[in-house]
Amino acid sequence: MPFARPSVALGLYARAAITRPAQLHPSLVAYRLLSTSSPRLQAEPVHEHNHLSGPIKSPRTTATYTAANEPDKYINPYKDGPGALDKAANLFFFTEIVRAMWLVMEQFFRPPYTIMYPYEKGPLSPRFRGEHALRRYPSGEERCIACKLCEAICPAQAITIESEARLDGSRRTTKYDIDMTKCIYCGFCQEACPVDAIVETQNQEFSTETREELLYNKEKLLANGDRAEAEIAANLHADHVYR
Amino acid sequence: MVSLARLFRGIRQVGVKEWWHQMQYIGDVKAGTLVGKDQFGNRYFENLNAEQELPGRHRWIDFAQHDLNATQVPAEWHSWLSHIRKDPPTEDKLMQNLSPPWKAPWVENLTGTRGAYRSYNTVKPKIEAWEPKVSARGQSS
Repeated sequence: MPFARPSVALGLYARAAITRPAQLHPSLVAYRLLSTSSPRLQAEPVHEHNHLSGPIKSPRTTATYTAANEPDKYINPYKDGPGALDKAANLFFFTEIVRAMWLVMEQFFRPPYTIMYPYEKGPLSPRFRGEHALRRYPSGEERCIACKLCEAICPAQAITIESEARLDGSRRTTKYDIDMTKCIYCGFCQEACPVDAIVETQNQEFSTETREELLYNKEKLLANGDRAEAEIAANLHADHVYR
Repeated sequence: MVSLARLFRGIRQVGVKEWWHQMQYIGDVKAGTLVGKDQFGNRYFENLNAEQELPGRHRWIDFAQHDLNATQVPAEWHSWLSHIRKDPPTEDKLMQNLSPPWKAPWVENLTGTRGAYRSYNTVKPKIEAWEPKVSARGQSS
């Protein structure tokens, strides 16, 4: 109540002047300590006309202002209602349901993208890594020279190779087994192979009924390569600029 | 793709007999150009019109056998059907040139039949079972 302070001081001074004898200097009364003055002296005067004129009102200088009265002052436009975040959340979270349902309805009237396997098939890359195969040279000589790099690099240790010198003196594998149940189809074997002997074909339809059929030996791998050599060679040729 | 307009347009293009055949197998009426036929009698079709066939469904096969199997597709046509090669093997000069004379005939996945592959050892076994040899009585070794 900063506006009431001058009147309090004046009232205190007036009461003190009335009740106290005149021999006291007015300056002594005015500078009396708060602890040494009696509570009666500290009482605030009550102005009777305020009570008679109705409820207590603010003074004129603190009347209710509108934004038009203070054009330069910043006024928060959301101070009376929900905030901008609340409004945005209500708007977008609710309309998101409606928009998603609209999207569903659009898709309902669109043709489905179902590919009817096995009549139609999805696209495959020429680098697709499927069933393994051992290749031959165009002369019909088998490529594998039993360097065992694929066996060394195989992270699943699925390849087993045993080699022996052939009658003509060239080193060939006598045993080239791939455990297809161990294989993780990482393609390291075909990357490690220096003569492109072991490759992974694009055939992915080699599922079997028994586990034993997945333990491929050299004959099976060579048979895979013999029957799919045209596709393997075409795929390797398609990628030859990147290899 | 299941719309009445597509259905009637397909029936008009392929005929009622072919439509009935397709409904027994692929379950959808598809009209396209016959691209080729492989050695087993499977027919391969293509329709590049995006208004009629969705991209991705524009190549399909009509199997010759009733007991059909995805591995009945030979390797050359497999690479065409899987969109690996652009041209069918009848027109793909590269694949024809790379096809060796010793190419083996295609066999489908014979698992579950008597022709299924059975693994065997290709080398002499490292471990030989002990065969007891009993020398006859009365002979001093």
